[in-house]
Amino acid sequence: MSDEKFKMESRTFVLKHELPVSRVEKYWKGLEDGKIYGTVCKSCGAKFSPPQADCSYCYSNDMEWVEVGEEGEIEAFTQLYTHPQGFEFAGKPYVIAVARFGDFKVMGWFEDSDDALPTIGQKVKARTKQDETGVWKVYFTPA
Amino acid sequence: MGNDRKVGIIGVGCSKFGVRDELTVQELAFEAVKEALKDAGVTREDIELSVAGTAGTRSYELMPAVPVNEYCGFAGKGPIRVEAACATGSAAVYTAYASVKAGIADLAIAIGFEKMNEVDTPTSLAVGGRSGSYLWEFHQYGTTFPGYYAMHASAHMARYGTTDKQLALVAVKNHRNAAKNPKAQFQKEISLEKALSSRYVAYPLRLFDCSAITDGSSAAVIASEEKIKELGLKDKAVWIEGVGYSSDTANMPEREDYAGLKASVEASRMAYRMAGIDDPVRDLDVATLHDCFTIAEIMAYEDLGFCKKGEGGKFIENGDSDFGGKLPVNTFGGLKAKGHPLGATGVAMFYEIVKQLRGEAENLQVDLKTYKGLTHNIGGTGHFGWVFVLGV
Repeated sequence: MSDEKFKMESRTFVLKHELPVSRVEKYWKGLEDGKIYGTVCKSCGAKFSPPQADCSYCYSNDMEWVEVGEEGEIEAFTQLYTHPQGFEFAGKPYVIAVARFGDFKVMGWFEDSDDALPTIGQKVKARTKQDETGVWKVYFTPA
Repeated sequence: MGNDRKVGIIGVGCSKFGVRDELTVQELAFEAVKEALKDAGVTREDIELSVAGTAGTRSYELMPAVPVNEYCGFAGKGPIRVEAACATGSAAVYTAYASVKAGIADLAIAIGFEKMNEVDTPTSLAVGGRSGSYLWEFHQYGTTFPGYYAMHASAHMARYGTTDKQLALVAVKNHRNAAKNPKAQFQKEISLEKALSSRYVAYPLRLFDCSAITDGSSAAVIASEEKIKELGLKDKAVWIEGVGYSSDTANMPEREDYAGLKASVEASRMAYRMAGIDDPVRDLDVATLHDCFTIAEIMAYEDLGFCKKGEGGKFIENGDSDFGGKLPVNTFGGLKAKGHPLGATGVAMFYEIVKQLRGEAENLQVDLKTYKGLTHNIGGTGHFGWVFVLGV
């Protein structure tokens, strides 16, 4: 029935934003060098991942950039079968996970050579690479 | 602190939920407003303040509060537009409640509405996937809203042994209830086998673990005790006895734990304190819990103290949240099967509890003993948390 309803189309409206990332440039440049950074507040010691240029606790802006640990452990994951606009390039289900690397937790895509899903508590290594759209990101693989 | 002014709900309205592609957002909101004013026995001229709740990111009308306000005849009476993702409706009710409680208005209306089917599914997923932190999550990893709850499910299932079957039982229960609700999006029962054999959307969540993409509206007329007396509606009013709110981080890696929602725990305890609820299962007759995904209802049983942490799977399996169980949950079908039009959802929870506490829920009526009910409305995955206790 719904196909028979009288309808019209709106004018095209494209939303594409500039991302103001100058204060966290070190994170994005770090990915290009295979490094994953969090920040630690030099004033109160609070740790941030993703990194922030300001401390949400003591309001200092004196931050130290610290690389996350070598080996991580999966705390949560999903495999997405239905993809959002902008991720059509993936072409197949992709796995998003959150893993703890020492003091920091990090989000990343999990990849295994035989397409196996991760398990909670599984040990992983992190590396960085560009996806097909040129965006740098973190990838986890079994340790 | 505060004042002792009582605030009550005197009228509720709710549109039919579903794919409402025959209506503009104004026309959709109008359906609920018309019903709510009629239910309260007041006219649009009596309303002093309107609050318009909509997430409003999937509709061609990006700033719909004023168009809706105009269409409902409330020009000049607000509107205040509020947004709290999927908890927008609760934030709208709170804003109207707080204005009445403060004595700024004596009669206010909270309107929640959402048109979600004006864009295609990939666009809708790209909006929902931005409900966390765009820069650090969606931009890099293509998160989706089912994906966020699926990550919570993965942690809950690993730690507590929660099963696919327990998840599916939530869907089966809520579809069974929605089958008797003429306003529900899906008015049909589903079998456990059908739920368990449906395709994965976001592992470990399958199609029938997820609420759908819904259009809908709901409205609640909120008044001070003095106004309620003046209108002669004291016997009809449902009082707002407890209010609780909280929130959590936008970024998943900044969360301590994924097997529950801290915002649910904190908001419920705040509302329980205010309403004098010691044991929710004993003290409440009915609850609406935020079941946008089946895992969300299971985590909510635990986070709101209906059972111990980790025992949510057993709570559904034992029938504790069904009619005749310890505490019936989502008697109108929940977000899962009644539908989840973001801005409308929270207000529609008030519609449900008001109907129940007045004894007007027809073939979905629960037994009333304490005459108290609860709404639990989450935005994002605990990015916003709202709990209200209502009573007569």
